[in-house]
Amino acid sequence: MNKSYSRRRLLQTAGSMAAVSVLPLTWVELAFAKSEQNFTFAYISDSHIQHIKGSQFVNNWDRGLIRSVAETNLISPQPDFVMFGGDLAQLGTRAELDHGAEMLSRLHGKQRYVMGEHDYYLDLGEYWSKLFGPQYYSFNHKGVHFIVLNSVLTTDEWTYKRWPTAEQRMLEMAGLDNPNGSPFMVGEKQRAWLADDLTGISKDTPIVVFSHSPLQKIYKGWNFWTDDAEQVQALLQPFSKVNVIYGHVHQIQYNQIGNISFNSVMATAWPWPYPQGYAQAQSMLPKLTIPMNRADPFFERDATGWQLVDVNTGRVDLNYNLYSNRSRTVAFDPKLGHPADKQFQGEAVLAPNQVHY
Amino acid sequence: MTGRYASMCAVLAGAVLPAALALAEPLGLPPVPVPAANPMTPEKIALGSRLFNDKRFSSTGQVSCATCHDPDKAFTDSPRSTSEGINKLTGTRNAPTIVNAAYFAHQFWDGRSPDLEDQSQHPFMNPVEMGLPDHEPILKIVRSDPEYAVSFRHVFGVGPDAITMRHVQLAIATFERTIVAGDSPFDKYYFGGDKSAMSDEAVRGFQVFLGDGRCVSCHTIEQDHALFTDNRFHNIGVGINRIQDKVPEIAPRFIEAKTKGIDVDKAVLSDPSTSELGRFAITEGLDELGAFKTPTLRNVAVTAPFMHDGSLKSLRDVIVHYNNGGVTNKGEHVNDFLSGGIRPLNLTEDQISDLVAFMEALTSPQFSKPPLTAGKFGPPASNVKSQAPDATASRMIASAGGTP
Amino acid sequence: MKKAIIGSGLAALAGLSLSLGPAPARADEFTKQDVERWTAQFMQVVAQGRALWTDGKLGTNGVACAQCHPNAANTHPETYPKFQKQIGRVITLPEMINWCLRNPLEGQPLGLDDPKMTAMVAYVTYERRGVKLAPGQH
Repeated sequence: MNKSYSRRRLLQTAGSMAAVSVLPLTWVELAFAKSEQNFTFAYISDSHIQHIKGSQFVNNWDRGLIRSVAETNLISPQPDFVMFGGDLAQLGTRAELDHGAEMLSRLHGKQRYVMGEHDYYLDLGEYWSKLFGPQYYSFNHKGVHFIVLNSVLTTDEWTYKRWPTAEQRMLEMAGLDNPNGSPFMVGEKQRAWLADDLTGISKDTPIVVFSHSPLQKIYKGWNFWTDDAEQVQALLQPFSKVNVIYGHVHQIQYNQIGNISFNSVMATAWPWPYPQGYAQAQSMLPKLTIPMNRADPFFERDATGWQLVDVNTGRVDLNYNLYSNRSRTVAFDPKLGHPADKQFQGEAVLAPNQVHY
Repeated sequence: MTGRYASMCAVLAGAVLPAALALAEPLGLPPVPVPAANPMTPEKIALGSRLFNDKRFSSTGQVSCATCHDPDKAFTDSPRSTSEGINKLTGTRNAPTIVNAAYFAHQFWDGRSPDLEDQSQHPFMNPVEMGLPDHEPILKIVRSDPEYAVSFRHVFGVGPDAITMRHVQLAIATFERTIVAGDSPFDKYYFGGDKSAMSDEAVRGFQVFLGDGRCVSCHTIEQDHALFTDNRFHNIGVGINRIQDKVPEIAPRFIEAKTKGIDVDKAVLSDPSTSELGRFAITEGLDELGAFKTPTLRNVAVTAPFMHDGSLKSLRDVIVHYNNGGVTNKGEHVNDFLSGGIRPLNLTEDQISDLVAFMEALTSPQFSKPPLTAGKFGPPASNVKSQAPDATASRMIASAGGTP
Repeated sequence: MKKAIIGSGLAALAGLSLSLGPAPARADEFTKQDVERWTAQFMQVVAQGRALWTDGKLGTNGVACAQCHPNAANTHPETYPKFQKQIGRVITLPEMINWCLRNPLEGQPLGLDDPKMTAMVAYVTYERRGVKLAPGQH
């Protein structure tokens, strides 16, 4: 039982000689105490399928989603389920959601979905819900309580009154750096729902929260931000093992606040700069984060990818499968008490192309 | 003053003497990387050349390295798509040129050897190449042949019984490090400042290469030299397209077989489907499914057919494949694992022919004439003759730097 | 004696010009109002650059520069000219902008002196103001 797990480790270090992504195609079981609590799921996010006209979509983003689906299907044994982390469409149109849904339908496993702002602000999630179901919900799986939030809501004023048309509203929210945007939030209604959902769950039940926005305050200018982060975190703090997995940022980030581990996921479409790269503003990227490698823009899949998430004894380890780049594993380190990169520990070992400026 | 002049002379002499043994690199190429553990000497080069051409190192006595890497054919076996070894057995892959192979960071189309030294041992034992069961037959020959005995003692300071396969590999690699060629019309134009060295078509083709063709990112050119390879592996939709529907079945099956200990070198040359897995078969990285090494484009026009499986016959076919965005025939399904660098190019017919003209301008003078008489880069392929080391060395230096 | 005559002549001239209007500017003299006016014109061009940056019309696929470069982040204008491996030689910032127009945006390059190019360079460098020059840095 131990053998295959150690082979997987071997594959990861052997593969890291060159800039490859290495994922094991076969492994049997993970050797941990309570094996029924160990399982994997896949996470694909931020595809931004973008319609040009007619049946033409931006080829670049299409290829990113196609590849992640094909690779997820190759994993053996198959992950327990696949999450889609939000921003399937770029401007929330039916054409984009349909085209994205068609590509996702090729996945073999069970799929669940998280709402992103690019899916939401055209029709406030109406078509999305038809395709994919509720915008926030919870479920249990192998002893873990999973919660999906719609964390890209904003003020009623901005959502309902500010813009003359739905298209305009979507366009304004679509610009990451748009000064006319508005900060994300979970909002009072959902927080009440969350509090209610959490009652009756024992404090040592592992919790995993899927959210599009970070449920932290990282950089407001690009909406790497959840306005009511503290209130949401306060609801989660009483539980001994909480993991938040979020999209939206199109880069590797991770953090620990009290009992809560935070892990971002990659986009399949394109990478974003780290906020400290914007010289005119301050940002608060979690100190723990060792950034992903810089991308070569010629290789359109560089620094895009998807994730295989291991759940081990209630904590999540994220295996980032990055094309043309360097794969990373950010795993919860029980000794340190927070997520840590398995390969890179501290500034000293950064490769030149991990230095962002 | 005198003292300074004298020491300057000493420094120059110190630099020139090893330089005479090292090779002045051709125009457009950087110095050949030589590992510290395998320094080059004229005697080692001559020994390597002899080993390279020795047909006795095959089970039928008919096949040497030079059989598939023929000096008269720019060190390939053009126009074969896939090479023929003993008993006319074919494998799955096209023989790449040795010319400028010294600059690669990996050897073989899937990079399974880290250097020339390692690479040289494998074809001997491949059932469709030289077909030997192991290296013992080679060692038997080199230990008993009196001329080899003299050479090995001279080069490595070992008696016949102490000759190992490692010595054989070191010598062959050293010989291969002398097979470098630049000084093409492109080099003269771009690095030599001779604006008349390329035709107008080739000059326009060069601009396509840098611009709409999107070639230069993988087939690299730098400010003062051009290797035309990024030493990486990319899935450009050749070969993999044929097996793409079966990848979910083939890939896990191969990994399982590999964990049980199959010989990868044999598997990739004997099974066409396994061969198309490319670099993935070596690294098991999903990112490299169907990915193959970027070859150099130097002398590409004389090394047809093209790609790892020799499936594209002409340079024009190659460009059309890229123009289609990674499929040979328009409308075919683009494989899911295609490199992010490949996409439809929308080149015009004129741009395509100009690009062909540019690629034809990458042929070095030694290879642009009709086949040379044997012996230019070593003894004739048909028999094994010893060469005076000094003559070999001075011929190499002359051909490397000047006109053939 | 001569000096006095010239001096008084000049004084006379000065007196003359005082009565005709303000003294003509000399060399690179400019006033605060000039600076304000020219800065406003520059900021107009920056705004044009910002508009081009976000409108998605520079290429043929609707992709906007801002999608990958919010606030022009990760463009690093302070490092140009530098060796750019996607082009194979040392280039300037406008040449890289053209590379992006041709490649991810699948469009046509702009002339290096096209007002649109100037506007984008103005925007990109303005968003990076204050960062030390580092030409050649990869």
